[in-house]
Amino acid sequence: MGYRAENLFRLFKAAAPTLLGLFGVIILALPVRFFEGVVPTPIIPLVIVFFWSIYGPSYLPALSVFLIGLLQDLLTGGPLGLYAGVYLVTQFVVMSQRSYFLGREQKVVWLGFSLVAVGASVILWLVMSLMSGVLLSPAALLLQMLATVMIYPVFGIVFGELHRRVLVEV
Amino acid sequence: MEFLGQDRREGLGRKANSRFVLFLLIVVSVLLLLSSLYSAQASVFKKAREGVIDAASPVLELFSGPIAYFNDVTGSVSDYFNILEQNKALRQENAELRQWMDEALDLREVVAAYRGLQTYEAPPEAQPIDAYVIGEANDAFARSMIVNAGRTRNVESGQAVVDEKGLVGRIVDTGAHASRVLLLTDIQSRVPVYIEGADIEGILVGKTRDDPTISFTESSAPIELIPGQRVLTSGAGGVMPRGLPVGVVEGMVRDDIIVDLYTNYVRTRMVRIINYEFPAINADAADEPADSVDEPSPAEG
Repeated sequence: MGYRAENLFRLFKAAAPTLLGLFGVIILALPVRFFEGVVPTPIIPLVIVFFWSIYGPSYLPALSVFLIGLLQDLLTGGPLGLYAGVYLVTQFVVMSQRSYFLGREQKVVWLGFSLVAVGASVILWLVMSLMSGVLLSPAALLLQMLATVMIYPVFGIVFGELHRRVLVEV
Repeated sequence: MEFLGQDRREGLGRKANSRFVLFLLIVVSVLLLLSSLYSAQASVFKKAREGVIDAASPVLELFSGPIAYFNDVTGSVSDYFNILEQNKALRQENAELRQWMDEALDLREVVAAYRGLQTYEAPPEAQPIDAYVIGEANDAFARSMIVNAGRTRNVESGQAVVDEKGLVGRIVDTGAHASRVLLLTDIQSRVPVYIEGADIEGILVGKTRDDPTISFTESSAPIELIPGQRVLTSGAGGVMPRGLPVGVVEGMVRDDIIVDLYTNYVRTRMVRIINYEFPAINADAADEPADSVDEPSPAEG
């Protein structure tokens, strides 16, 4: 591998979590209606923010998190700053608990993620209810968060392999 | 997992994630949120949304094809189990529709005869713009879709969007080549409607659940409704044309009339944006209605 190609690959590795997050947002903006829309689309960017806040915060700087959230707000038409704020708060909370999660079993990390998902749901529901002036039905949000929590183990393994084998050089 | 958690700083992630920047950006997000609370339609935000829709539309268009294929595959699994019932229902519906077709053909002749009269003046015709759904907000609270037609094809904010069944929503943001449709179920959606045969004018309000309600009604007399009555756009406010089918009355809960929409958002794939100009009736703009009446006639002939 030439010097230039190596540099490009390095850049790609450093930017990979950010790019994945942006791709997760694109998925949220596509007309995905699997099983006639019964299964909601999981919020993959939340998984990405959670995962790299524990295992490699330097791979997902706060600016990337902000941009991922902002793109989601712009594309899905929600109030600007909502998902950006939720993802940033997620990163802050997770990073403060980082030393607890590092080296733990994946089951424990999964439990941690479900707690984070509950926290994010509460923020989202409160802000949206405040902004629309009525108490919104949280059912759709809870279903979407449930789907997100259910797919976490799969993405945890995939991201773990990616992070270990590709992003972090041995 | 021995390598997980080891920080190798290089490239984009050269510096450790700084707490200061994180805090700063949280503050920025909250400020954005507060400012969008007070000026949701601020031109800067609107421009940003429209720009992002435009920039993302090629990507969305690229992926929406395969996604539609997978939607069809997964969607049809449930269809296999009730294919006989569906077939029976379709036969019955077909028989009913044939009767309607006969009636419509008769009516067409009658209408043609009336149109032949000298005194008849054609109302301005709507100019339909066809588009595909390339994006959809998979969000619990924001309900919107992105379609692949924009300003270059005369799409403007406020225009009604219909699919083969009925009203889908209205345009809220328009990029050059893509636009956002606010669905009737969105919490921000307000569409003036009337109930056929009941003489009730009202506003259809989105509730984020599947069924929106008519919350405000003009008549103060107690409302008598028969479930199944048609709900149509009233054209009040002068944006959407009158008489677009919206849904049927499902029932009443307290003062709210629940409306069962004709359109099924899970299957909305092709839509038609209705570019409609209301006929001007004020006398000082006497020239304009003449123009707008003349315009559609070459298209007709």
